[in-house]
Amino acid sequence: MELTVNSVSCTVQSPPLTSLLNVLREELDITSPKAGCESGGCGACTVLVDGQPRRSCLTALCTVDGAAVVTVEGLGTPEDLSRVQQAFIHHYAAQCGFCSDGMVVAATAYVNAGGSDDTDAIREALAGHFCRCTGYVKILEAVAAAARGDELDIDSTASSANNTYVTIAGAES
Amino acid sequence: MKVVGARLPRYDGVGHVTGRTTYVDDVRLPGMLHAAALRSPHHHARITHLDTSAAEAMAGVHAVITHADVPLLVYGHLSGGGIPGDEPLLAKDHARYRGQPIALVAADTVDIARAACAAIDVGYEELPALFDVRLAFDDDAPVVNDAFGNWYDQYEGNLDVRQIRKGDIEAAFDAADLIVSGVYRTQSQEQVPLETQVCVAVPEPDGRLTIHTCTQAMYFSLGVVCSHLQLPMSQVKMVGGTVGGGFGGKVDTASDTLTALAAQKTERPVKWRWTREEEMLASGNRGPWHMEIIDAVSRDGWILGRKMLTIHDAGAYGRFSVYGVTKHSFHHTGAYTIPNLHFDGYVVFTNRIPTTAMRGYGITGLSTAIEVHAERVARELGMDPYEFRLKNANRVNDTSPNRIPYEDPSTVEVLQSLASATGSELSDDLRAMTRDQRSADMLPDHLAAQIGSGGGH
Repeated sequence: MELTVNSVSCTVQSPPLTSLLNVLREELDITSPKAGCESGGCGACTVLVDGQPRRSCLTALCTVDGAAVVTVEGLGTPEDLSRVQQAFIHHYAAQCGFCSDGMVVAATAYVNAGGSDDTDAIREALAGHFCRCTGYVKILEAVAAAARGDELDIDSTASSANNTYVTIAGAES
Repeated sequence: MKVVGARLPRYDGVGHVTGRTTYVDDVRLPGMLHAAALRSPHHHARITHLDTSAAEAMAGVHAVITHADVPLLVYGHLSGGGIPGDEPLLAKDHARYRGQPIALVAADTVDIARAACAAIDVGYEELPALFDVRLAFDDDAPVVNDAFGNWYDQYEGNLDVRQIRKGDIEAAFDAADLIVSGVYRTQSQEQVPLETQVCVAVPEPDGRLTIHTCTQAMYFSLGVVCSHLQLPMSQVKMVGGTVGGGFGGKVDTASDTLTALAAQKTERPVKWRWTREEEMLASGNRGPWHMEIIDAVSRDGWILGRKMLTIHDAGAYGRFSVYGVTKHSFHHTGAYTIPNLHFDGYVVFTNRIPTTAMRGYGITGLSTAIEVHAERVARELGMDPYEFRLKNANRVNDTSPNRIPYEDPSTVEVLQSLASATGSELSDDLRAMTRDQRSADMLPDHLAAQIGSGGGH
C-alpha cells in the first residue's frame, strides 16, 4: 500500500489490518506518535490523515491507502518551527512531552481550520487528549495564542495572561 | 541573577514539539527483540508446576526466563538501606498478587512473545486471598509475605510498628475538655503516566549492559538491577532522564531488571513495553491507608494531644512502604503543632499489587484525614474552622512529631490566602497572625515545653 508521510511517498509492507500507529513507528521508524493506550483513549498517537486529526492506533492501514499522513515531524523543524510549535514552547505547554506530539497535531488542525482563541472551542478540539503533567491550562493558552497569531518568542517563557491563573473549570483568581 | 525570576525557555521544549525527544520506546536498535510477561491470573496461588518447553520451542522465541534464571531471586527495593529483601523478581512457589510476573519471553515480535506466554504450562492451586488490612492480624488470616508474614516486623531491628512517642500523652488526655475521634480510609490510585513502563536493555561487546530506563530513581534502579543480576555497578550503564510521566509510579524498578536479564540471556537488545492494561493492573500504585485519629482538645481550641493508629496497605511486598509509613509518622500532625503524641503505624501486606510513591508518598491521604478531622473538631467546639486551624498552625520553632524545629512554616499565610481566595471572613486578629515564633498569648503551657529553642525535646 502507498502512503505519503510528511510529503514523502512510501510503499509500506505491513499487513492491511496493522494499525497506522504501528506502521509509522515500527515499519517507518517515525516515533512521534506515541503508544499511550493503543485503544483510542489518550490522544498521544494522533496524526493528520488528509488534514484531519485521527487516532493512528485505531486506524487500520487498509483504510488510509493512498492518504497523506502528517506527523509532528512534518509540521516544522527546530530551525523552522510552525506557529503552534512556537506557541507550545513559549507558553510552556509541554512538560514531560509524551502527549505533546498528539496535542500539537490536533491543535494544528484546529488552527488551520480557522479556530479562534475561544477556550471552550479549544477544549472541544482537544477533547480526548490526556495530559497528566500540565493541568491543561498552559496548553489552552498556547493554542489560543497560536489561533490569535500572537508574536511568539521561543527564547523566553510567557507570563500567564494578565498574571491571573485560569482554572480548568474557567474560574479566575 | 540570571535564572531566578527569569522567564527561561524549556531546555527540551524544541525536542518535545518536533517529535525529536527520544523516549525509551523510541530507541531503535538492530536485532532488537521484544518481550512479554506471563503474569499470575490469581490474587493468591501456589504454583504447582511450570513448564516452558513448548514456549521455548516456538519459532521466533529466543528466551524464556523464569525464577531459575535470576542470580539473586529475592531482593527488596530498600535492601540497600538495610531492610531485608522480600520480593522475588519472578514468582517461584507462590503468586502473591494478580499480575505478578512469573516468566518473561523474548521473541522476534511482541505478538510471538505473547503467544509464547500463552503456551507456558503453569499450574496453580488457588489460596484464600487477603484484601482487608483490618483482617491481617487475625489468627486465621491468609499469610501473604514470606519474609515478614502479614506485617513488617523489623523497625529498629525488632519492632513490628513504627512508633512516635512525644510529650506526655496521658496528661494531655486527662486535661482534655473534649475528645474527638475519627476513622479515615483512602483508596488506592494508579498514577497513569501516558508512557507505560518500558525498558530497552542492550548487551555490549565488552560484556557490560546498557539500560535505557524510564525510572524516576536512577540510582535505586541501578542498585536493584545489579543486586538481582549480581553484577558490579561498573558493568551496568543506565541511560535515563527522559520520562514520559511518572508521578511516583516509576520509582519502583518495574521493567529494567527483567529486560536486562533477557538481554543477557539472548545476547540481543531487548525491549519490554507494558500495555496500558498491564500498567493499570500490575504496576505499583498509591496504596490505601487506614487511619484512626483521637484528639484531646481544650474548650478554647487547642489540640493538647493526638493518638493515632495507621495501617498502610502495602500490597504483597514491601518495596518502599517502610519508608512511606516512617514519613507518614513524621507528618501525622500535618500543618499543626501538637506537643503530646502517641503514634503507631503498621505496614500490612495484602494480596494486592505492591504499592509505591505517588505525589506526596505517605502524606496525601494523611492530609485528607487530618483536615477532615480538624473540621470535625472545630465543629464539635463550635469554633470557626479558620480560627481553630490558625491557632494550632505551625509557627517558627514549633517542632515536628520527630522533633525537628520548623524553620519556615507557611501554614498561617496559606490559611489566610485560602480565606481570601474563597471569600471567607477573617477577624482582624486572625488576619494579623504571622508565622513568627509564638508570643505569650500564643504560647499556652502545653506548648511551652516543645518550642525548639527551649530544648524541651
